[in-house]
Amino acid sequence: MKKIILGIFDFTDCEGCQVEIVGLKEKLLTISDKVEIVNWRLGQKKARWDKFDVALVEGTPLTQEEIDLLKIIRAKSDFLVGLGTCAALGGIPGIMDKEERQKWYEKIYGPEYKGRGIDALPLSAYVAVDFLIHGCPVNEADLTRVFSDLINNKKPTYKDFSVCLPCKLADIPCRLLAKKPCLGPITQGTCGAICLKGGNACYGCFGVKEGANLEALLTILNDFSSKEEIENYFSMFLKKSKLI
Amino acid sequence: MIAEDFIAKIEGHGALNIDWTKKKVRLEVLEGERLFEGILVGRPAKDAPWVTARICGVCPIAHNLASLKAVEAAFGIIPNRTTILLRKLMEASQIIQSHTLHLFFLALPDYIDLDSGLELAKKNPKAFKAVLALKGISDEISQVVAGREVHPTTTITGGFYKIPTKKALADLAKKLEKNIKASLIAVNLFKKLDYPRYNIELEFVSQTDNKNYPGYDSEKIISSQKDSSSIDNYKTDIAEEVRKNSTAKFAKYKKREVMVGALARLATHQNHLDPACKKLASLVNFKNPFHNNFAQAIEILHFYKSAQKIIEVLLKEELDPKIIHPSNHPSLKGIGAVEAPRGGLYHEIHLDDKGKITFVNIITPTVQNLTSMEKSAQAILDQSPGIAPEEAKRLIEMLIRAYDPCITCAVH
Repeated sequence: MKKIILGIFDFTDCEGCQVEIVGLKEKLLTISDKVEIVNWRLGQKKARWDKFDVALVEGTPLTQEEIDLLKIIRAKSDFLVGLGTCAALGGIPGIMDKEERQKWYEKIYGPEYKGRGIDALPLSAYVAVDFLIHGCPVNEADLTRVFSDLINNKKPTYKDFSVCLPCKLADIPCRLLAKKPCLGPITQGTCGAICLKGGNACYGCFGVKEGANLEALLTILNDFSSKEEIENYFSMFLKKSKLI
Repeated sequence: MIAEDFIAKIEGHGALNIDWTKKKVRLEVLEGERLFEGILVGRPAKDAPWVTARICGVCPIAHNLASLKAVEAAFGIIPNRTTILLRKLMEASQIIQSHTLHLFFLALPDYIDLDSGLELAKKNPKAFKAVLALKGISDEISQVVAGREVHPTTTITGGFYKIPTKKALADLAKKLEKNIKASLIAVNLFKKLDYPRYNIELEFVSQTDNKNYPGYDSEKIISSQKDSSSIDNYKTDIAEEVRKNSTAKFAKYKKREVMVGALARLATHQNHLDPACKKLASLVNFKNPFHNNFAQAIEILHFYKSAQKIIEVLLKEELDPKIIHPSNHPSLKGIGAVEAPRGGLYHEIHLDDKGKITFVNIITPTVQNLTSMEKSAQAILDQSPGIAPEEAKRLIEMLIRAYDPCITCAVH
């Protein structure tokens, strides 16, 4: 069987999603039997640029060079996958507003400094994206599922359940019933409710689930949370993404 | 700058610029600025450890811990003993995770002529199995204590949302015992490597508590030149310089280029190493920056042993899950310092009286190492007259990887 030609690319981010790829361990070896990684700056020196069956792109294209490179990768790829919340939604870097950047360049680097970053936006702000592997960071279950689909020439699909499903299955007391904010009901649930299992809230890093009832969640949140608190939750990972 | 110019197998985007007419080496850092010090301002203090973990996917625990310490100092919180022990366990797992990833996937291919760390599976299956065991066990410690292998979910200012059960800790102890051989295989492999031989005068800087091998507890900053600083003076003594065309700053310690990280910790704290490591440490050449990789391998063994000891202590004690709340009249200003895998990390935070963040400053290890990397690269060029440009480029890129730079941290 012909191996899938894969490129793994990273723009501005923490590289934690690539760490999760390495974290696949033995599975990564199995994958590398079926997939030829022809370009992966973090993992190898060898780098081919001709054509990719699949491109995995991590991070937000923050600088002009990254935006240009993203367009080149798009043109050379049959199937482009956004890897992780920064690529999918803008994520943590997206908390910074474009209009505020100059002020912070001056505060952090001084008045002479010329910033390189333009705005932390998801990949979809610049190119068509074929699929998104969500998460800050992405998790093993999603990575293996998508790799398995790609290897078997199957188009990966999104799962139709929210974070509430794995949260309930794990028997975790509902935050909303305890009048504590949570974005679980509107968020895709393939994370397995990992943050709630750790005792934390859900800030929606797996992206808004298709058909989510945002209005209903806002009504509940407005009952016991201040506007500022609600904004704090919705601005953690989702500030630069279209909610519905 | 085109994509091909970025140095492969380092975290983040950096390029090497050698001016052959002047024989000068410059590092260029072109990673995008995420502006974390701005992102946090206006947000509640509780967000700082959660957000700053995401500065780096390779050392998220180090940022999480430094930030927790900074916020706790600002709130006048003194966490309980269980919390401190669990955090030290997180720190140990972080160093094993990060060093394993760097040594085997990024650095080792240089020494044994591989392109990618994955090729080790065929070339040396025994070593590859050890790598997977080390990555596996360190990820598992992070999962049990911090909730996840990357980006902690259980930690909170003042303690933990959730602490592990004794059963989970006992299971970890068993797995550590079972896999101890993996850490020995790793360190023996790096003991036997043929490192490029260079003699370069290096000054080493590390945080210390004067009692233990550096890690979570840091009371001051010391240098191998018998110099020292209070952590409170981190910002003046580790001064950052902004360079044109570089998104990372370049720092010096009291105006001198210094090296931080594994080799620096080893140079300044040999006496505090686990007994299993002492003989190995005597084989390290502290004038050869490539030996940073050997030092990292020794630290894998040291922190492996240290994780075992911490769990042993935790299993004997009653675990206290209590989260400590802010004191009545906190200073609202705090500094959190920990030794991250790559060296001394500093988070400073200021809050207003409602607990909202008004100021953040972060100095990362790689920012301190960038100046030392340039100095050592220059020394290689100066000590190798007549070297072919391609060979010089290969050696210097290998040197940069040996320093284990994290550009994503450096820019943040």
